[in-house]
Amino acid sequence: MPASTIGDARIRIPDRIGRGDTIIVNSIVSHPMDTGFFRTRDGDPIPAYFIAEVTVSYADREILRCEWTSGISRDPVLTFALTADKEGLLTMVWKDNKGATYHQTVTIAFTAA
Amino acid sequence: MVNLPELHRRSFLRTLSLGALAVIGQSAIGRSGRLFALAPSGTGPDDPEVPNEIVAKALKDRFGDRPIRRGHVQLDMPAVAEDGRVVPVIIESDLPSTGDQYVKAVHLFVDHNPDVHVAGFYLTPALGRLSLSTRIKMKRTTWVRAIAETSTGELWGNYAHVLVTLNGCG
Repeated sequence: MPASTIGDARIRIPDRIGRGDTIIVNSIVSHPMDTGFFRTRDGDPIPAYFIAEVTVSYADREILRCEWTSGISRDPVLTFALTADKEGLLTMVWKDNKGATYHQTVTIAFTAA
Repeated sequence: MVNLPELHRRSFLRTLSLGALAVIGQSAIGRSGRLFALAPSGTGPDDPEVPNEIVAKALKDRFGDRPIRRGHVQLDMPAVAEDGRVVPVIIESDLPSTGDQYVKAVHLFVDHNPDVHVAGFYLTPALGRLSLSTRIKMKRTTWVRAIAETSTGELWGNYAHVLVTLNGCG
């Protein structure tokens, strides 16, 4: 298990963004994504524990929602293309099947041409 | 080993090879008239257009009886995944995403996973061109399906065959 704690999240966007550019947004959140099929070395079942929903909003509008299962790999990554036509906040919220939510936000601002 | 007389052995081999040639010839011509028609071209083992029962039910529950056509969606996956716990997936599409014509959802299915519907992505035209990627778990060698649903209700999909050498589901 990496040293990072569950729910640590990062979003990466390009350093320079022009108005109207299509940018690639990279995100990762630390989470075990347990399926519920495994047991510990002592034979105790490991209950299912995974990110079930991800929502992405951009300038106060929801633009992408993901429904996930434990079929997504540990420390889930999500990468998507986005047309950057407004300056504002890009917020991602990850919600797991135990009800915990994890947030991360980046600011999308245009660099002067 | 039995020591056959030389003449006997030679004639036996000749008969055997002639027989084999006849069988090969018949089966090759019988299939499609082409000599190298033994492997279906392009698609790999089994036909992804004919899903197994569980996948067929999952598709029907989600999409009803609407036809799923192949095309307009690119599903980029490794042909061989060394570790079934982490298999990269890239989904892209050339379908329009302007105004009221856009891809409203993309669903990802893995044929032999315990839960065949791995992920659903619900999109808006604000995203622009469709490009999504993540990493998934795969239990064993099988087909992966990416199916895009447009705002007008059309279904477009594509399939990728992935050989999994290490089970990612326990």
